[in-house]
Amino acid sequence: MDLSLTSEQRLLQDSVQKFISTQYSISERNNFIANDQGYDNSNWQQFADLGWLAMTFSEEFGGLGGSLVDSMIMLEEFGKGLVVEPFLSTVILFGAAVELAGSQEQKQAIIPAIIEGNLIGTFAYAEPVEPTNLSAVQTKATAEDSGFRLSGMKSLVFNAVSADKILLSARTSGGDFDADGISLFIVDPAANGLTRTDYATVDGLRASEINLEQVRVERDGLLGKTGTASKLIQGLANRGILGLAAEAIGAMEALYKSTIEYTKQRQQFDHPLADFQVLKHRMTEMFVEYNLVKSLCMKATMLETQGTADAQRNIHALKYLVGKTGRFISQNAVQLHGGMGMTEDLPIAHYFKRLLVIDAQFGNTDHHLNKFVG
Amino acid sequence: MNTEFSEDDLAFQKKVVDFIKANLPKGMEMWTKRNEWFQALKAQGGWDVPKWPVEFGGPGFTPTQRYIFDMEMARHATPPQIPFGVGMLAPILMNHGSKEQINRFMPGIRDGSVNWCQGYSEPGAGSDLANLKTKAELSEDGTYYLVNGQKIWTTLAHIAHWMFCLTRTSSSGAKQEGITFLLIPMDDPGIETRPIITLGGSHSVNEVYLTDVKVPVTNRIGEEGKGWTYAKGLLVHERTGLAGIQHSVLALEKAKANARTVKTGDGSLMDLPSFKNKVGALEAELLALEFTELRTLSQVSAGEGPGPESSILKLKGTEIQQRISELNIEAAGIYAAPWSGQPIGPDFARGATSSYLGGRATTIYGGASEVQKDVIAKNVLGLG
Repeated sequence: MDLSLTSEQRLLQDSVQKFISTQYSISERNNFIANDQGYDNSNWQQFADLGWLAMTFSEEFGGLGGSLVDSMIMLEEFGKGLVVEPFLSTVILFGAAVELAGSQEQKQAIIPAIIEGNLIGTFAYAEPVEPTNLSAVQTKATAEDSGFRLSGMKSLVFNAVSADKILLSARTSGGDFDADGISLFIVDPAANGLTRTDYATVDGLRASEINLEQVRVERDGLLGKTGTASKLIQGLANRGILGLAAEAIGAMEALYKSTIEYTKQRQQFDHPLADFQVLKHRMTEMFVEYNLVKSLCMKATMLETQGTADAQRNIHALKYLVGKTGRFISQNAVQLHGGMGMTEDLPIAHYFKRLLVIDAQFGNTDHHLNKFVG
Repeated sequence: MNTEFSEDDLAFQKKVVDFIKANLPKGMEMWTKRNEWFQALKAQGGWDVPKWPVEFGGPGFTPTQRYIFDMEMARHATPPQIPFGVGMLAPILMNHGSKEQINRFMPGIRDGSVNWCQGYSEPGAGSDLANLKTKAELSEDGTYYLVNGQKIWTTLAHIAHWMFCLTRTSSSGAKQEGITFLLIPMDDPGIETRPIITLGGSHSVNEVYLTDVKVPVTNRIGEEGKGWTYAKGLLVHERTGLAGIQHSVLALEKAKANARTVKTGDGSLMDLPSFKNKVGALEAELLALEFTELRTLSQVSAGEGPGPESSILKLKGTEIQQRISELNIEAAGIYAAPWSGQPIGPDFARGATSSYLGGRATTIYGGASEVQKDVIAKNVLGLG
């Protein structure tokens, strides 16, 4: 057993760290999120040029044949830098779905375009009724001629505003909450009958509510077979959870470290705050809890990569801990920064909000604790 | 000891509830008809200033009546009073102000025509408030103070006409000595107010810069160098008010109602034991905290307090407020993510996130939780 990074992985980590430290200050980030799509196109092109978008795709389609671990390394650094570019939507969710379940033609048409930075994709899975239940799919896909007609609603679809393709779950058979009968479709956002309500999320990203009214999808827009997408959807949710966990861990590390720095400098009662035992212990707890999440994230990533039966249970435990510890660390980072922690000027507030949104995605703390205990 | 309300108290409770039902503005009128509401309260005989003594126009409530009054006001979500004038400055004026100052400032405080803000915290004086450095130098002829310095976290400074302000007139002796309480008009050209945008995205706090502000000696409350004593007495009362216990009772009921609308499996979120237990735990602690507040009030009526025990109310009250706002975030689920004000997801989700974010300040302002624990440890338990 070897838990250390390979030299290639360390180089990857260094290159992301360098990008963030030189090009991603909080004020630069504020500029990136200020435009309508909520991120910067030239950053995305750099991701492509640096090979980051190619990392996990297979060599057959121009990728570098890396593993999920490589994505996790990048995402952890993205978390420290509060990176807003649509890596999770495009690579971890949409791109992976195409690679895992797409036809040869679909892969050829999509993966090289993603790698070159020319295609943004996203995954629309949640619906207004019971959004955390991946089987709660009321969007209907009716077979028609050689294709389908889709009608329904999708909620909190990140990056739909800039997406060239949207991967969408829809029901081809079965009842509204059945695991069977769900299919996946690749939809063109400009299709007739598809309307979006775009909005900013608390953490500065962009998401949309999507309404589908008799949206025509050709046969080649179907991803995989009809009615059997549940397992793939769960797999994508798991990848999403792992990716978000890596980001959260990066954010938590940044929070506990900047809290330590701040309390060493801030003087009250003629001492640095860091001299007070109660605050020392609080920061120690932040550090301890951070380490537990980091450990479980590594474990769950390995199990999921190996396809072990135990992986699902570990992923539930991980998302629970990400939510719980994310809250503990972000709340205490604000508390120990005092009034300064409440201002939008310091990065603290932005990490706080990112962790809040991460908890809300793919089921929150309570949801996964309940899944974990069964 | 008697925990039941007397016949008279019950009659009073009915009177209060009847009044609220007859006069409470509805919906958006909460904002447009605020003045009418406070006028109606005043016409009841000082209900607009329930904590003021009779000689200043207060209603002369017994502690039990005040408890009932506060409880019903919170329970019916009546328009809140901005606390700085009526709640914070007025008691200091009544106790330490000159007759001229009382005649000059109390009417504007009472009718709400003059907005006040509180100039206490400074960049270097947060939890350690007595460390404040804003300097007030007495002029050679002894007619005015020249004030220079910076205040921070000044709530509503941007709409205030006046600021009551702690300044340093002497640096010798203990930090608590040499602090002087001044009333400063905000339209002085030496005052600059800059907004601070906080975590919830809102603007309510500010930085206030004071440069060569001339404050007449007649605007000093009480004696020079005694400002800390005057302010400290009030901080105890401020803590009691910040607990917001009745608001929490109401907020918890709303959180439960919200959770009932969230479909979870075959039932609602309220059927999920892990969620229900969190609600239950909060409800139990609130029951206990309500009665703790009543105990504090009964000490007041016995002429004893409120002492440092009021820190218990602030400490637990704010913690409970924050936990209730977490319940709403959890019930909002994915709809906690959209930035507030946008019609996305269920209605309750819209304000849930900004309340949660903004609410993080409650364990920081008015003496951080860590400071409240120090107060209890030192002044109640005798621990150093």
